[in-house]
Amino acid sequence: MYVCICKGITDKQIKQMVLEQGVGSIRELKQQLDIASQCGTCAKLTQQVIDNTIIDESLFKDVG
Amino acid sequence: MKSNTEIVAMLNKVLTSELTSINQYFLHARIYKNWGFSQLNDKCYKKSILDMKQADKLIERILFLEGLPNLQQLGQLSIGEETPEMLNCDYHFQLTQRTTIQQAIALCESQQDYVSRDMLSDILEGEEEHIDWIETQQYQLEQLGLEKYLQAQL
Repeated sequence: MYVCICKGITDKQIKQMVLEQGVGSIRELKQQLDIASQCGTCAKLTQQVIDNTIIDESLFKDVG
Repeated sequence: MKSNTEIVAMLNKVLTSELTSINQYFLHARIYKNWGFSQLNDKCYKKSILDMKQADKLIERILFLEGLPNLQQLGQLSIGEETPEMLNCDYHFQLTQRTTIQQAIALCESQQDYVSRDMLSDILEGEEEHIDWIETQQYQLEQLGLEKYLQAQL
């Protein structure tokens, strides 16, 4: 789904940044994507997507 | 007729939710139209117009109670990228909105504002019908598979 409507950024793009670029915070993400730069409404959801991706990833490693 | 600020604030919260809903369904309708899914376009377009009418009722009621309807506040839109995701976004939005309206109804009841409560009950009925419609779509998607489901929406 679209997390940021202003810039048309999707949750998949954010997840990809977390997994491939090791992004762990909105500040780091802002260097890669132009997120939360216009109205700021998406900041909360962006943080959730980052957090959930990190959680999923670390759980996956524990199982392996 | 003067009402207490608590009720006006709650009605404004429901109004924010309706205004968000208008935009979300309008955008989803036109995304479906762009893809040629006219059935889904019609349904979402009508839902958006219904939300406008509901928002109108809320605006008039808030003004009647001598409050100021806040048309500036807008919630976050959840816009999907493909049909199942769009239905899922709408579904979660509806469930959140339902809780908000339920809280508003409970407040109106406790403050003995029965007219606002009746208005909100009507709105809630419409929202629950739409939740049911989405559940039907999700069931069909599961049973028919995405391709057959989408073919039925042309």
